[in-house]
Amino acid sequence: MLSAQERAQIAQVWDLIAGHEAQFGAELLLRLFTVYPSTKVYFPHLSSCHDATQLLSHGQRMLAAVGAAVQHMDHLRAALSPLADLHALVLRVDPANFPLLIQCFHVVLASHLQDEFTVEMQAAWDKFLTGVAVVLTEKYR
Amino acid sequence: MGAKGEYYPSKLIGKVLKIFCISNFVFDMVSFHRLLVVYPWTQRFFDSFGNLSSPSAILGNPKVKAHGKKVLTSFGDAIKNMDNLKITFAKLSELHCDKLHVDPENFKLLGNVMVIILATHFGKEFTPEVQAAWQKLVSAVAIALAHKYH
Repeated sequence: MLSAQERAQIAQVWDLIAGHEAQFGAELLLRLFTVYPSTKVYFPHLSSCHDATQLLSHGQRMLAAVGAAVQHMDHLRAALSPLADLHALVLRVDPANFPLLIQCFHVVLASHLQDEFTVEMQAAWDKFLTGVAVVLTEKYR
Repeated sequence: MGAKGEYYPSKLIGKVLKIFCISNFVFDMVSFHRLLVVYPWTQRFFDSFGNLSSPSAILGNPKVKAHGKKVLTSFGDAIKNMDNLKITFAKLSELHCDKLHVDPENFKLLGNVMVIILATHFGKEFTPEVQAAWQKLVSAVAIALAHKYH
């Protein structure tokens, strides 16, 4: 359950990302592949050549999904159901990888927002993204 | 780590740490504060620290600050002994297991928080490569601190 304050923090940060989903997503993926090379196994089409266009395109798709989650904070299960199916039946990303992505998400936010990335913002986003990860892996078995 | 791996991360880590010390960035305090606020269950190890009831109480808590300083000193030791972390942290590992009873998972959480704080401080300079070097270091320290658990 997200408090009113946490929702406000999440919305405030999303306002900064909105419109820049592709760039944010591309940096997120680049950090993920650089810091945690084992995650590249899930992105064979992206990780072998680090093609900027493909990173931007996939980054846009991932962040658009995060944006959808932000719009539907109270109905994550319903809003993310197709994505949950995709992860369970097709992608089958090991759940241990989601915290790695979340760490990189925080680092992108932190490096861009710097002092504005307050502890309250980090706490709210960590709670929110962890909740998204739970929903995305819920149908695994 | 290959030849490039041994050289590259040390330089990146050394550069970042030097800038830290020069800028008097209150890294030690801030990282502990963040850990206790973002992951409130970690407060279970600090019952004797007094008031941890709110983010501002944690920020003002002198024991949190003192412990943060100890952790930063330890990290300084880690950087000087990157090839001997398990030996360097052997006594501390025993202490955290036998006396403090700290779940080693917490070392990973603190390490990740430290990386995020570095990112807030260094901004664009905290490139993916610099992040990778630091994540490797904090992960190795966490493993070293857990090494003597039994």
